Amino acid sequence: MSGSMFETGDVIADVYEIRALLGAGAMGEVYDAQDRALNRRVALKVERPGVAPDYLVREGRALAAIRHPGVVTVHTVGRHRGVAFLVLERVYGLSLDRMIEDRRTRGERFPIGEAIDLLVAIADALSVVHGAGLVHRDVKPGNVMLAPGGRVVLMDFGLVLPHADRAGHRTAAGSLQYMGPESLTGDIVEGAAALLDVYAIGVLAYELLCGIAPFDGADAQALYRAKMRKPVPSVLWLRADAPPALDELVTQLMAPDPQERPQGAEAVVWQLRSLRARVSAAPEARPFSVLIVDDDEDMRRMLALYVRAAAAGAEIETTGEGRHAIRAVRRRVPDLLLVDLDLPDINGIEVCMLLRGMRLGDACLIVSVSGRATKADVELLQQLGVRSLEKGPELMTQLAAIIDRIRPGH
Amino acid sequence: MTEAGDPAIEALVASARADFSRGLVAKASAIEAMVCRAAWDDARRAAHKLRGSAGVYGFAALGTYAAALEEILSNGGRPPNEQTQASVRAKLAELRAEAERASQEGP
Repeated sequence: MSGSMFETGDVIADVYEIRALLGAGAMGEVYDAQDRALNRRVALKVERPGVAPDYLVREGRALAAIRHPGVVTVHTVGRHRGVAFLVLERVYGLSLDRMIEDRRTRGERFPIGEAIDLLVAIADALSVVHGAGLVHRDVKPGNVMLAPGGRVVLMDFGLVLPHADRAGHRTAAGSLQYMGPESLTGDIVEGAAALLDVYAIGVLAYELLCGIAPFDGADAQALYRAKMRKPVPSVLWLRADAPPALDELVTQLMAPDPQERPQGAEAVVWQLRSLRARVSAAPEARPFSVLIVDDDEDMRRMLALYVRAAAAGAEIETTGEGRHAIRAVRRRVPDLLLVDLDLPDINGIEVCMLLRGMRLGDACLIVSVSGRATKADVELLQQLGVRSLEKGPELMTQLAAIIDRIRPGH
Repeated sequence: MTEAGDPAIEALVASARADFSRGLVAKASAIEAMVCRAAWDDARRAAHKLRGSAGVYGFAALGTYAAALEEILSNGGRPPNEQTQASVRAKLAELRAEAERASQEGP
């Protein structure tokens, strides 16, 4: 942590014990910290001295005005040894830009339905932000976290401004790729600042569906020209399987003229929901499937027998390694995943976090089967939506009850 | 509804238990070998595995001995000192005796 503003073990304002540096940027740093008073993990954001005074206070106040599962929760703001800090909910998961990159690397694309679901969640959170009289101004995949339980969380309100702050909106801010062209020229019509976020949803939607950003340009001027060019890039050029209505919506969202865009995030939510209903979501009929992850061959064998006892005809796959499990789930999401916590490569909790964070595991029930899970392990697993079972004589009965409950038609 | 009472599955479970039982002495020997070459973490992991599988296969006493051995081998993540090593050997002897007994008489 050399060069960072705080060190591991530092206690901020007598309450927040620094555990690790999570990230650093031009404006400041974000730390993983333990709230000693309330015994919970938090994210502690600190302002680099000399940059944009009070931006953390502004961010904190903006967040305090909003209560929505899609918006990161603020706990408090303060100052420690002259350094401003903001304490936020610690959101575990994977950022959307990493997920997009991950899929691009693997040559995979977001299924249309999944992409729409993500966009609905982002637009819904933004509609609440706008409803509070605020504009986020930095909507981009890197500021969207995919948290356990399918929760999509809008992060980093460092550039937030009140809707009515016309002078503030004339100052270009945000990430060039996602900024509306009017932001690049400072030409923002009164009452239209929220349409900057609407534009950003369009760019994000394009990237989500196509795996690449829609505009090329080495600098702000080149990007501005690309953004003003008509027609705007069509999703259908790269995603022939996208419904034409979705392509039309993304095109509208990225319209160079703000007045041609949907006139608010709420309107975007409704259009996306209507589209989602039309995208076929009929699940393919397939046998009940189970993935067993345990490095002990004896355990794999007995767990497989327990599953067969509870669900004749189940498709059972077994592996002794966490990384193999991740790959297996990527290939095909099982209905039930049984995972040992003590694995040789990555431990079972990390497997669960990766699966939940990547939303690969949302469609399946994850159950940890462990010989010695600690209370802290069980609590963390609960937060991830993972049930915990003990390796012991009751395991067969407990497993049978779980399988009985989740098996289709039972 | 489950097929927990399916005779075919019960036979497979019984067969798995018999195989497990036959392998118990070898498992205890493997842990002894790890301890002999001071592979403490390998030994701890092996004891941990045996603890879990013994519980599931119905060998509760063996699971208790394995748990006791795992506990000593954990030793706060540090290599065991001489005194702890003596405790490890004592627990290992108990584990082996129980493994030999269980492999003959069952759980």
